[in-house]
Formats: sequence, C-alpha cells, structure tokens
Amino acid sequence: MVPRVECRNVGKEFRHPAQAVSLREWFIRAVGGRTVARHAPVFRLSGFDLRVGRGDRVSIIGGNGSGKSTILRLIAGIYAPSEGEIVTRGRIAAVIELGTGLHPELTGAENVHLYGSILGMSREETRARFPEIVEFAEIGDYIHVPIKYYSSGMLARLAFSIAMASDPDILLLDEVLAVGDQAFRARCHDRIAEHLNRGTAVIIASHDLDLVRSQASEVIWLDAGRVRMRGEANEVVDAYLASMSHAERAQESDDHASALDRLLVYPEA
Amino acid sequence: MRTLDTVRVITPRSRGSAKEVWRFRDLYRSLVARDLAAKYHSSVLGFIWTLLNPLLMLAVLIAVFRHVIRVPIEHYWAFLLSGYFVWNCAQQCLSAATYVLQQHANLSRSAAFPSEILLLSASTAKHVEFLIEIGLTLVVLGIFHHQAVPGSFLALPVLFLLQFVLVVGLMAPIAVLSVLFRDVQHALPPIIMAVFYLSPVFYSTDMVPESVRGLYMLNPFAGLLSLYHAVLFEGRFPAGGLLGWVATLALASCAGGYMIFRRYKPLCVEVA
Repeated sequence: MVPRVECRNVGKEFRHPAQAVSLREWFIRAVGGRTVARHAPVFRLSGFDLRVGRGDRVSIIGGNGSGKSTILRLIAGIYAPSEGEIVTRGRIAAVIELGTGLHPELTGAENVHLYGSILGMSREETRARFPEIVEFAEIGDYIHVPIKYYSSGMLARLAFSIAMASDPDILLLDEVLAVGDQAFRARCHDRIAEHLNRGTAVIIASHDLDLVRSQASEVIWLDAGRVRMRGEANEVVDAYLASMSHAERAQESDDHASALDRLLVYPEA
Repeated sequence: MRTLDTVRVITPRSRGSAKEVWRFRDLYRSLVARDLAAKYHSSVLGFIWTLLNPLLMLAVLIAVFRHVIRVPIEHYWAFLLSGYFVWNCAQQCLSAATYVLQQHANLSRSAAFPSEILLLSASTAKHVEFLIEIGLTLVVLGIFHHQAVPGSFLALPVLFLLQFVLVVGLMAPIAVLSVLFRDVQHALPPIIMAVFYLSPVFYSTDMVPESVRGLYMLNPFAGLLSLYHAVLFEGRFPAGGLLGWVATLALASCAGGYMIFRRYKPLCVEVA
C-alpha cells in the first residue's frame, strides 16, 4: 500500500541563529563564490526513516529537545530538511503550537476563516463547515467575541475543531490534546479514531505516556535527534521509562506540565 | 473542493512554486484584511490617520519648498500631491519589509505556507491605502488643477502595476536580509532618507543637471515619480522610452530580489 508519509534518511541541522549566516561567510560566498568552513550545528537530526500508512497512528516520544517537534515540522513542510527526502500524499493538518495562526483581536468566527485558510481550506469550504466547527468546539455565542477573552480550553477546542474540519489525510499533533478538559479530550480521541478509520494517518508527539501506550500503533523514541528505539507501544514505552532515573521521571511529568504552559502562552499579535 | 490532495516531495533543495503561492490566496486575503483591520481596530479616527499624517507632511513640504526655498514650479501644491503618496507608500513598504517576516515568525513556524504570502500581503495592505489616497488625489487634481478629467489618468493602472512590482522586488531582499542580519534595520532608515532626497518628490527631474541625469535615472524612483508627474500633474501620457526604462528596472529588481528571497527563505523560517 502506498504510504501517506514517507521519510527517507531525513536529516536536519540547526545552527545558532547568529552563526546561521555570518556576514563574513555570506560576503565570501557572494563575492568569492566559495564556501567557508561551517560552524558546528547546535542540533542535528539524522538518518530518520518513517513510513506511515492509511489509518496508522504513530507516536513520537522523547525528552525536550530530542527532535519531536522538528520531525512534525519537517513532515508538515514548515522546515526544509538538510538531507534526505520527505514524501507526503494528501492534505496535511498540523497543529504544532496551539494559538498560533489565531489572532487575539479578531472574533472566533473571523479566526475560523483565518485558521482555515492557513490549513489550506478554501473560503467556501470553511463557510460550509462553519456550523460543525462551532458545534464541536462548544463555543456557543462566544464565537462572536474576540478570542483574547477565551479561556485556554476554549482556544484549544477551537483550534482542534478547525483542524479536524479541514478533513486531513495526514494529521500532525504536537501536544495540543493536553489542553482542554477530560470530556473534550475524549471527544477529540473519538474524532481522531473516526479519521483513522477513514484512512487518515496520524502522527502525535506526546509526553502523555499512558495515552501513547493505549493508542499508538507504532512508537518512536527519539534521543538527541536519533531514533533510540521503535516498535510496539508497550515495549518502547517500558524501555523509555526504564532508561530514566527516578528524578528524570519527575522531570518528564514536569515536561508534560511545561508543554502545557507553552501551549497556553499567547502568540504575538 | 480539495486543494491540497497532491503528492508532495520535499528535499533540501525544495523552494515551492508559484502554484503554491496561488493555493494560499485565501490566506493572503485574510492577512491583508487582518493587517488593515488590526491597524484601525481600536482607533477612533481610523483611516483618517493614514491621510492625516501624509497631509501634514505635505503641508510642511509645500510651506518650505514653496515659500522658503522657492522651487520654481507653477502650481507647486499639485506637483507635490501627484508624487508624494507614491513615495510615502514605497517608503512604508520598505520599512515594513524589515519586520514582516519576524512579525509572523510564530505563524511561519506552525504552519506550512510560502513566505512570499507575507511579503505580498504586507505590500498589498499598504497599496490598498495608497489606492484610496490616489483616488482622492485624482478628485482634487481633477477639480482644482485640471478643471477636467485628463485622458492620461487612464495610464494609472500601468503605473500602479510597475510601482507594485518594483516595490515588492525591493522588499524581498530587505525582508530576508533583515532576518539574517539585524544591521539591515539600522542601515535602512538613512538609505531611505537619501533616496528621498535623490528622488523627484519635492523637485522635478528637469531641475537635475543634464550632466548627471543619466546617473540620476538609475534610481528607479526617479523614473517612477517622473511617470506619475506626467500623468497626474501635466495630464499627458508618459513617454514610451521612460515607461520602458522603469519597466526594465522594476522587472530587474523583482527578478533579482526574488532570487535572493528564494535562496534564504527556508533559513528565515527557522531563524526569524
């Protein structure tokens, strides 16, 4: 079967912004047409392979800075890989950071259209899906209020509802399900399950290991930009937990909490 | 209608295509609307402010160059009016280019869309304001200066197009370079100031000595403003040679600027 997402030997290097292109390097390259010695990268992801088929649900776990979000951004097409090739088939909805793409001064309704257009929906499509989005988000009359007055849960519900309404073939989620109350999370998982049945490929980066255990068809454990282990969910999660000392385990749940905090931080206007 | 149901292959050399930009036209529209709406959202006078500022500047320019420095141009107010908004718009676009990619850095890092959209929407928002200003200018010039509607006004869409292409072409390298080198933000204001004095905003191209005229016309704004003076102030169709020259400069700046932009835009998403 043709996979929805294929990563072949993908690598990504980040250099420190100040080193990314130094004025000297740029000048020498522009004028002399030759390359100068490069600085060591700050972060390197290398040799990453992945195949996600229709209805597959892959979870990526690993500590902060292990490269989870980077992989999602590469697949989404936000970052260009430094090496390798990424092939995707179908519409992608990436909810990487909650709240980005939403504008605080605009109302919920206006934001539905803005975010819809960012996810690649046409105006007609967004308009047709509008009632469904509002209903699923349980926003009610607040839809006509600027979203700076929304609670974080409402923001999460709105963003997720729009993403799901775009009917993606490939769904990329970065920790966004962590916000929102139990009931909403349950409905999200139902909705994701529905999409999986219809053939959507889902890739989730998560700190929520219990969730990973219960739902992922494949788990990839990343460590400093390398795949440390991959395979059946329980096996990988157990190995991941075993590798951590007690203190690190506490840290992991802190990470979960700080990931939540990160989601709640408002984007700049 | 599904617009993104396609196979996409991304390699280190991928830079997206023009088709990709077209796909995101709804985002472009939203961003332009958001730009304009956010600007006037919480202000009482709203759009009046966009007019008030340049009008104040115009009044000062007229007072100084008509009565103190005494630029020898008849109907000086009409002359100034026919070029000032063009310069004002261009200058605002160039300054906007220094922060537009940083301003939307959050968006660029959380959604995949061509960053050309950011450049185009920023420029478009300014040009929408410009169109309103130039519309008012046409009315004022028609009534008080020409006492008629000169046929030359028909040439305006061409001039507008050249202006847009030229300005976007200049914005493109400024945008990526200001992300990579903060120096650009410091260097640009004095450069803009210099170009203002080296462009026929408050004096006419005829007043520039013949001996340096060739050099002078290398400034694309010299040609562009001369075109606007001909069409709006003198009420005659512009000379074909001048039109061709400005078109050449506009296309060259656009092609060159876009090459630099494409080269560095993936890096800018990460760094901005």
